[in-house]
Amino acid sequence: MAIDKSNQTSSYSSMDMVTRLAARRPVGPPPKRGLPWGKYFHYFFCSLSYIFLLSPMIVVIGASLHGGEYYTAIKFPPDEPSLQWYWKIPKGQLEALGLSFGLAGLTALGACIIGIPAALGIVRGKIPGKTLISAVFRAPLQIPAIVTGIAFLQLYYLFGDATGLYFQGTFLGLYIGHLFVATPYVVGTVTAILQRFDTRLEEASFSLGASKLSTFRRVTLPVIMPGVYAGALYAFMVSFGDVPISIFLTAPGFVTYPIELFYGMENDFDPSILASASLVIFFCLLVLLGMQKLVGLDTLLRSGSR
Amino acid sequence: MKTRWEFVLLPSFVIIGILIVASQYVFLNGSFYKDMGLGRIGDSATMVNYIRFFTDSFYLNTLWITIKTSALASIFTLILGFPVAYLIARMRSHWSMLLLAGIVVATFVTIVIKVFGLIILFSADGLINQVLMGIGIVDRPYTIIGNQTGVVVGLMHFTLGFGVLLLYSVIQTIPRSLEEAAQIHGASRWRMHMRVLLPLSLPGVTVGALMIFNMSMGAFTSAALLGGGRVFTLPVLIQRTVMMEVKYSMAGTLAAVLLVTVLLINLLAIFLIRRLRAARLVIA
Repeated sequence: MAIDKSNQTSSYSSMDMVTRLAARRPVGPPPKRGLPWGKYFHYFFCSLSYIFLLSPMIVVIGASLHGGEYYTAIKFPPDEPSLQWYWKIPKGQLEALGLSFGLAGLTALGACIIGIPAALGIVRGKIPGKTLISAVFRAPLQIPAIVTGIAFLQLYYLFGDATGLYFQGTFLGLYIGHLFVATPYVVGTVTAILQRFDTRLEEASFSLGASKLSTFRRVTLPVIMPGVYAGALYAFMVSFGDVPISIFLTAPGFVTYPIELFYGMENDFDPSILASASLVIFFCLLVLLGMQKLVGLDTLLRSGSR
Repeated sequence: MKTRWEFVLLPSFVIIGILIVASQYVFLNGSFYKDMGLGRIGDSATMVNYIRFFTDSFYLNTLWITIKTSALASIFTLILGFPVAYLIARMRSHWSMLLLAGIVVATFVTIVIKVFGLIILFSADGLINQVLMGIGIVDRPYTIIGNQTGVVVGLMHFTLGFGVLLLYSVIQTIPRSLEEAAQIHGASRWRMHMRVLLPLSLPGVTVGALMIFNMSMGAFTSAALLGGGRVFTLPVLIQRTVMMEVKYSMAGTLAAVLLVTVLLINLLAIFLIRRLRAARLVIA
């Protein structure tokens, strides 16, 4: 099936118009009478999926508003709503949040620095074995996350034994691990955009006398920017939510937010965790809203995850 | 005038290449040594860890549970995800953005928070048990914490958002006009789905299903928290072997088995798809 992709990006292709006009007049056998049960069932089924998917987050936010006594504090639906737990988030959780933000931000940045040149090289380089090279860049996603975690832990031990520099439990060690799994997202999204890139734009820029660098900065970069945003967002979120890698590479007193939550839940948890978790959910919503304003959600997704 | 783009690629390729080779080599190599306790390992290579894995029914059972829960989670994710992806992809109003946003938020919020919500929801005096006991379906609190149902539900929460986004991009590549053409020619909704949509989306859906399966096989968080120390999947066991038993070699062996299993299942699936395609059972 060869389907011209450029046709779908414009929502008003001529074919679409024709079928839309045709659809107004009944062509072929008249539609069956009665209610469209299939459609209703479809909507019903979809609402079930949404309830399934969103209920845990709604429950977390709801339960964080509980205002009662300490010992009955985890309760949904909450009685006597209050924001008391939001003021009682302990320092440890705030520090963990801070570390996660910093780490995720730097991971997104690093993933772009490694990923954008990689995507440019994959799409435009004249090299044999391109499939193999892009497979290498995708490989970190094929390796189960927990395997990556233990692999880096053992790598750091071995490296430490050999050189005396132990990365385990340091920011750099954690950063390398996160960078490893986050970079493929940037490579994927930027590659997807570059493959649709009209190189005549660059030729036009050259023929108008622009230098290579200025062409890249003022023509190429703006075009691939949605892909970069999408990839950076994926990289940020993957790093920000990661457990299986961080659990091996953090140390007591040096934990990311998901790990702090993870250990908090294994032991008896304090309801302030609900409050900080709700803040994270709101933060994700906010980021999403920003992305929608910046590039649009559909562009974000069309540039493709993975 | 021509830019040599292949040189631009080189530094990134070296960085990622070294990280892959080094990390994978170290643990694979380590898996061939015997644990001597306290994190020390023996000095001669041996297959003892692998022999132990394939002769101990506990380890074999763990592998089976991992595959079973991942497969179930993938199937249910597809069943729940496809109708949603189809709805959003074919929607013409601006509501589709809102629906999409719901999916993306669910994908981006860390699984730990979602599992947290699940645990509150399914706790003995949680909302679900209140409703179930109120109606009288169950007389004792029903729990998903510490059993395989819980692990499957947890895995689904991990993969469903991603799954919908993957399927959404697959369905978007199928022109709407093909479906309309089928309906104009008198095909019923059901027939259109079976004869047009399904064959066209099948290649993309299979690739998506494999990705979801791979994610589930490596999923640690939901399995660890909802397994509650009673259901062990390979990722959970790997973490315990490192953190509690401090047996790095055995953990390396478990990780190697997991990696190879995922790889084999993927190769098998790709092989089967090729065969089906060759037999013209799948149009692609």
